[in-house]
Amino acid sequence: MRLNILIGGKAGQGINKISEIVSCTLTAHGYFIFNYRDYPSIIRGGHNFNVLSISDEKISSHESRIQGIVAMDDKTIGLHEKELEQDGFSIKPDEFLEFGRNLNVALAGALIKILGIKKELLLEEIKEQLNNPESIKAAEAGFASQKEKFNLKKLNNKLTILNGSEAVAQGAINSKLDIYLAYPMTPATPVLHELASKQIENKFLVFQPENEIAVANAALGASFSGAKVMVGTSGGGFDLMTEALSLQGISEIPLTVYLASRPGPGTSIPTYTLQNDLDIALRGGHGEFPRVVIAPGNPKESAETTNQALYLAQKFNTLSIILSDKHLGESAFSFSEKINPPLKVEVKRTVPGEKVVRASSYEHDKFGNTTEDGQIAVENADNRMKKYQEIKKECEKFEMIKFHGKKDSKNLIIGWGSTAGAITDAIKGLDFKFLQVIYLKPLSNQIKTEMEKAKKVILIENNVTGQLGRLIREKTGISIPKENRILKYDGRPFRSDELREEILKK
Amino acid sequence: MKKPFKTEAEITWCPGCPNFMILESVRKTLMNLSEQGVQQKDFAMATGIGCHGKMFDYLDISGIYGLHGRVIPTMLGIKLGNPNLTVLGFAGDGDTYAEGMGHFVHAGRYNANITLIVHDNQAFALTTGQATPTSQKGYKNKAMPFGKPTLALNPIKLALTSRASFVARCNARDIAHTSEILEKAIKHNGFSFVEILQDCISFNLETNNRDKQMYKFSQPCKDQEQALKLADEWDYDDGKGKIALGIFWQDTTRTPLEEELPQLKELLKKKVGWTGFKR
Ligand SMILES: Cc1ncc(C[n+]2csc(CCOP(=O)(O)OP(=O)(O)O)c2C)c(N)n1
Ligand code: SF4
Ligand SMILES: [Mg+2]
Repeated sequence: MRLNILIGGKAGQGINKISEIVSCTLTAHGYFIFNYRDYPSIIRGGHNFNVLSISDEKISSHESRIQGIVAMDDKTIGLHEKELEQDGFSIKPDEFLEFGRNLNVALAGALIKILGIKKELLLEEIKEQLNNPESIKAAEAGFASQKEKFNLKKLNNKLTILNGSEAVAQGAINSKLDIYLAYPMTPATPVLHELASKQIENKFLVFQPENEIAVANAALGASFSGAKVMVGTSGGGFDLMTEALSLQGISEIPLTVYLASRPGPGTSIPTYTLQNDLDIALRGGHGEFPRVVIAPGNPKESAETTNQALYLAQKFNTLSIILSDKHLGESAFSFSEKINPPLKVEVKRTVPGEKVVRASSYEHDKFGNTTEDGQIAVENADNRMKKYQEIKKECEKFEMIKFHGKKDSKNLIIGWGSTAGAITDAIKGLDFKFLQVIYLKPLSNQIKTEMEKAKKVILIENNVTGQLGRLIREKTGISIPKENRILKYDGRPFRSDELREEILKK
Repeated sequence: MKKPFKTEAEITWCPGCPNFMILESVRKTLMNLSEQGVQQKDFAMATGIGCHGKMFDYLDISGIYGLHGRVIPTMLGIKLGNPNLTVLGFAGDGDTYAEGMGHFVHAGRYNANITLIVHDNQAFALTTGQATPTSQKGYKNKAMPFGKPTLALNPIKLALTSRASFVARCNARDIAHTSEILEKAIKHNGFSFVEILQDCISFNLETNNRDKQMYKFSQPCKDQEQALKLADEWDYDDGKGKIALGIFWQDTTRTPLEEELPQLKELLKKKVGWTGFKR
């Protein structure tokens, strides 16, 4: 069973509340959900929509087939009616306009009734989230206005809902983060907001400096004096931080960066998604120095890899980057698995206040004093590379790659990050095995063996040039031919039903 | 014998450079403060890149030899990481007023309890003498063979209007006065800005030997208006005008950033940094 419901309206009208109420009611009822958010860079007006996908089995994507439309304005109907399946339903705002600000709550109530879920469950949810008489009245009226179209019987799944951003924040809190620094930039901002709201109860500090250059340099300062620090940004802000990342390389002050990518170059289509920043994550910053780049594919992995990134940064005094994007950061997923208990993140280095400690952007001797001696420069460079080998060894303890689909299939799909959800759903029941790359630096040696074993290898990425494909070619010498690459770069994520068709064409 | 607060690194400033005197003023200040109970391990510095940045190699305290222009955010970070440290920054005029200007104008309103010391030699010295924002109009240098076409910036006025809670200026050659001002700046509970006029004896010689133009005043101004007027006596562009030295402004009523943030207030109260903090 799978339904996709499109919920649309003007920015500021509150479509996300509909997704949230319905998602929570459904997961409490044992159903899996996935909620995709599509919105332009507008605060009021325009047109926003969500696609809420519902299933009785695990899903991590939405589809192009729409079985229902929930419209907060007429424009939504006009724009999306053509996507609606023949026997699909639509709920229009007209008869609920009297509820004003609670129009969205009324529509949520109507949708719950159509899905055939009991009113008590809806009201429990409304009470938990809003708890005011007007909202309850609106929900009841919405519920009463419709007839049941489906009959979603209770299932026994125990589910959690998280989006990628909440999960990154959770991973940071689990790691006992001390300081988070960020300058607002979509789609990294939700982590800033989430952590800011939890800083007092969890006793850590969130601070917003004047720009990303200040963020990155202040992060190094704070890490130097002993704090466990993370910064967050998107591509443009990351560009501004890169000189400081290079300073990290030579000073070896631990630093963790959450990089949530969006389409570039320039400001592009800022509220949409693209995996176009793998290259800068791997190479941003002048000079040659070690780093770790990890790309989770779902919220559980987001929480776990955030913990790993913080752990590796402290253990090796290195730079670690968690690479996500708008699609993972802002889509809501439901899942039944537990997030693994965190690795303990410990600051073991000596810090100022204990004794004199020195860190430098110049090549330096063992006392931290500047030197221009060629031999010391070589020794230091060699030590940095030796450290990378140790980092690599440690990373092998983690899940650097992951397999999905038919494990013994000769048809191999390779992808990374937020596309993992759509790929996994697209190949259900097909003769395909999906290799999800989680660690992009270091890159697992197993990728090469898997590629050599396969009869056919398909690359799937949400970018223009196939950046992972290029990385794999660099590391393995194996090139995935152009006709075997599925690349999408309209700023929209893959929808699993469409992707399935594309895979079958290859 | 090793001198207090001095490393054994070889000093590579041009012989006779007033940076030597700034180093002595700072050492003197740190010795005074250590006699008053601040331990050597509790100082931390950030330095920029330039001749001034070499302070890092010569001063025996903790610190980050950071990036060009980023002394202020680096200091801010060190303070956020452990508010119990006494944090100093050594920066250049190119560093602070050109590359890092975006940070300078915010430092006053943040008002973290840190001390910024600018070695203002009105030139990018380490890159061989190009013009900085404080170089005088008409200054001929290798990048501007016909002279600097733009006016100079007055950093004292800028600091005053961007709400720095302690603003002072001194002369690198006057070790006694400089160290007296530095000690007050460090003790001030908020953002302190000390502009040190420092001759570069290799570049922009036109601005050297202005001691006759300089005079010291003893009391901080009563209000911003008076402070701005005093700062206006010399505009950094002309060779004339009286150059006032002293504390232009000190506002002791402001709350420093660390005390505005409950998390850092707790670290201050417990006298620990994040590493010593038990949740
Ligand atoms: C991002 C960056 N740009 C340029 C430089 C080159 N650079 C090194 S020192 C310096 C000028 C320093 O001038 P100032 O801050 O006034 O210091 P001074 O040498 O005069 O003490 C410059 C431009 C650099 N290190 N980093
Ligand atoms: S170049 Fe100028 S500032 Fe630099 S050491 Fe020489 S005299 Fe001093
Ligand atoms: Mg200078």
